[in-house]
Amino acid sequence: MIPKVWNVSTQATRIYRFDASGCNGCDIEVLGISALVPVAELGIEIAERPEDANLLLVTGGANLKSKQELESAYRAIREPRTVVAVGSCAATMGIFKGGYSMTGPIDAIIPVDWYIMGCPPRPQVILGALADTLQLKVEGIEALLRTPQGFRGDPHVDQEKCVGCGACAHVCPADAIEIVGNGTERLVRFMRKDCIFCASCQEVCPSEAVELRFGDKVWFQGKETSTSEARLPLRACLLCGAPYVPDAQLNWALRRVDEKLEVGAADRSRLQRSLNICMQCRRKSLSEVREAKRILASLATRISA
Amino acid sequence: MARSQPDTDVIVYEPQLCTGCRYCEVACAVWHCGQIDVTRSRIRILFDEERTAERYSAVNCQHCDDPICCAVCPPEALQKDQKTGWVTQNSSKCVGCEMCIVACPLSVPIFDAALRVAVKCDFCLGAPECVTHCSSGALRVCARDEAARFNERLYLSVKEDQ
Repeated sequence: MIPKVWNVSTQATRIYRFDASGCNGCDIEVLGISALVPVAELGIEIAERPEDANLLLVTGGANLKSKQELESAYRAIREPRTVVAVGSCAATMGIFKGGYSMTGPIDAIIPVDWYIMGCPPRPQVILGALADTLQLKVEGIEALLRTPQGFRGDPHVDQEKCVGCGACAHVCPADAIEIVGNGTERLVRFMRKDCIFCASCQEVCPSEAVELRFGDKVWFQGKETSTSEARLPLRACLLCGAPYVPDAQLNWALRRVDEKLEVGAADRSRLQRSLNICMQCRRKSLSEVREAKRILASLATRISA
Repeated sequence: MARSQPDTDVIVYEPQLCTGCRYCEVACAVWHCGQIDVTRSRIRILFDEERTAERYSAVNCQHCDDPICCAVCPPEALQKDQKTGWVTQNSSKCVGCEMCIVACPLSVPIFDAALRVAVKCDFCLGAPECVTHCSSGALRVCARDEAARFNERLYLSVKEDQ
């Protein structure tokens, strides 16, 4: 069923689509909009020249050759200029990050008004973002834009559950997760622009703290950088006093030991003490190594007895 | 919980015999990483000049019967092989959460920044290089029950070390 659409913005929007060296995945998704709705009835026209357009839809991360073209296209479009960056490459250069010819991301070259996340974003998402940008009214757009079951939205981290181990940051293919340690606490931050919704973080999280929520809006305006973050206080080493790993991680490990192993009360208190010592100190002094081996020997004896 | 076979082998370290040559570290680093970088070695030798007796100590995997590292590993990348008795790590399963490093009282697993995973002693899959290259015989492979008795004598029976 084709939804009824109408445009309440004052003037018809003419879109100039610019491919600034992506993989063309996003371009195909942009074309997919026409399979969803009659684009002409939305009041959207596709401009063949930038001079006719007032909205610039950019895909790709911009390279040495496309940079100047992009700048001149931006200068050429009519005011008020609106720039929509489609996909991960446009927002952060995505998989092309670090490429020898890359000059992006797009917002380093021209001002960007809207970002649409995804690698690539689905046509429904692009349409939803355009509808927001142009203040379109589309009948039944909610049903149209509803995320199909199994598709994922923004990552959210649960402050209560997160242990701050950093596994998510290690597996993230898009480097969308930042682990920042500033002395007494560790900050786990999910960078909104970089995320490609692969859910690797959700899969590896030992404490099931990360969730890519179903049905989130995955386009945004301006400078929003992170979807969510968790702050974990770090434990100070018993010996050197330096903060090393989050309290939550140590508690998690100890709880797991309690669940899986049968450790006697004396050994457990020794083990608990050893967890309060930072990894450097554990391997630095002879007495600490001896103490650690004592714990392990004691566990082995109890087991063989 | 299943107990490992008593006839499996472990590496034991005898501090009185150690000369601190650190050949074991070099051998380990070369075998595992192909480079003479002892910071990447799975075994480390500590040295304390102040001491009269027992100047040396080793940070080496005990290949425990009920390993703490395996218990805390969320993706079960660390596994105790019940047949061989080795505690080995599957790099393709490891997610780099560092739980094993945090939980092991000795911090035996080390984090490999290049691979983004934890790595640990894997017994060189049968013939440990550290033992092969130990010139003084401080490191040796012996049966598990004998090693348990040895470690018990060394670490449990004597008074608190000073």
